Amino acid sequence: MNADRPRLISLRNPWFTASAGALSLLFVFSAWVGFVWLPSAQDDALFKGLLNAICSAAGAPRAWLGEASPPVPPKAPVSSVVLTPGMLEGASAGGSIGRGATLALRCTMCHGARGVSAANTPNLAGQYAPSIYKELRDFQSGARTSAIMVPMLAGLGDQDLRDLSAYYAALPRDSAPEMYPAPDIVATGSPMRNIAPCESCHGAMATKLGAPWLALQPREYLKSQLEAFAGGSRHNDISAQMRNIARNMTPDEINAAASYYTQNR
Amino acid sequence: MAQTFSADSHDTAALSQRIEKRWALLMVSIIGLLVAVMIFTGLHWAMMPPSRVETIDPSTLHLSGEFVESNLGSAVEADGSVTVRVIGQQYSFTPQCLVVPAKTPIRFRVTSADVIHGMLITGTNINSMVEPGYISTFKTEFKQAGDHLMPCHEYCGAGHEAMWANVKVVDKDAFSKMAVNTRRLTCDL
Repeated sequence: MNADRPRLISLRNPWFTASAGALSLLFVFSAWVGFVWLPSAQDDALFKGLLNAICSAAGAPRAWLGEASPPVPPKAPVSSVVLTPGMLEGASAGGSIGRGATLALRCTMCHGARGVSAANTPNLAGQYAPSIYKELRDFQSGARTSAIMVPMLAGLGDQDLRDLSAYYAALPRDSAPEMYPAPDIVATGSPMRNIAPCESCHGAMATKLGAPWLALQPREYLKSQLEAFAGGSRHNDISAQMRNIARNMTPDEINAAASYYTQNR
Repeated sequence: MAQTFSADSHDTAALSQRIEKRWALLMVSIIGLLVAVMIFTGLHWAMMPPSRVETIDPSTLHLSGEFVESNLGSAVEADGSVTVRVIGQQYSFTPQCLVVPAKTPIRFRVTSADVIHGMLITGTNINSMVEPGYISTFKTEFKQAGDHLMPCHEYCGAGHEAMWANVKVVDKDAFSKMAVNTRRLTCDL
């Protein structure tokens, strides 16, 4: 349109040079503040020096521990199972249901022909496979103790445990009549006393990887396990996540939770 | 519309130049003020914890390294400082009760085993995200003995409201007496 109008972006345009110049100065100053000045003000050897300050402020991952006493090893074996969402999936990691069914013949005298029994042992039909697998591995490693389960698992390899888990997870759950309304400890927990609701990990509200499905388990079993967690004699829950809860529960709450999941069977 | 000032083209150019300059000055001052606020709060209030990025595999915390269960809690270091290691997980902190000495340099090392949690210690400026895959490291010093609560302040799931821990700050002497018997201190039941 106007051929002799001066070009906007040009070093001969004083407006352009002034504003772009001021902006770059401000940018350089701000970068120096954020990457050099403020980090250097920290009382930490890893922030000292130009390169260190810049890398730290930019978030380059590095070891920040420095001198420290070595880790204290556990007194008793703890769970060594790595729980990840795909841990039992895929050709190499998955279990064979048919092979698991054959292996499960040794389990039937306590856990029932189809994973349900009246022997006060856990009902395994329809249990989550990662939960079964984790407990089996913990029995094997000594993280969880049982005079019955530990000898039963002797000689079984990792693939055997995966197959067993796949088999029991594939069995149909024992059909429940209608569940009673959940007691407070199950539905809301007791937040003022550090107790999350059972349902926030064990199903109904949300599930957490490794946490078992509890419905229709024998009352005596649930009660004894909650008490074992509370007293610390069972300690295969990773980083004490279940001990932290059970320790704060009253005997009444333990009874209420066990009765609810049992549905008075 | 008739203009109230002289419509002479030279005057218009001068006027718009003045306005441009004022606006530019105003904008640069606002940016300058924001940078100054950042400098002041960074230096004097420690508003933002310094970035200390460190990564860790959240699924294997319990197998080895400094976050195994037996290594959690407060550890007395050779230089007299205290390192406190904490895991956040759905839905509790481990340990559930932290015990630390007053008037002693303290270094917190916190990480998550599952989802994003947060921790803050009431009555102090300690406030950090607790993220899976990252170790939150920060340094502090408690001026006096007292009890504090440490809630998870980042919604972490259906049991979030029950996730909190106790922090007991005790006198230096009382702490060193407790530290005689055990290498990692907590006040868990």
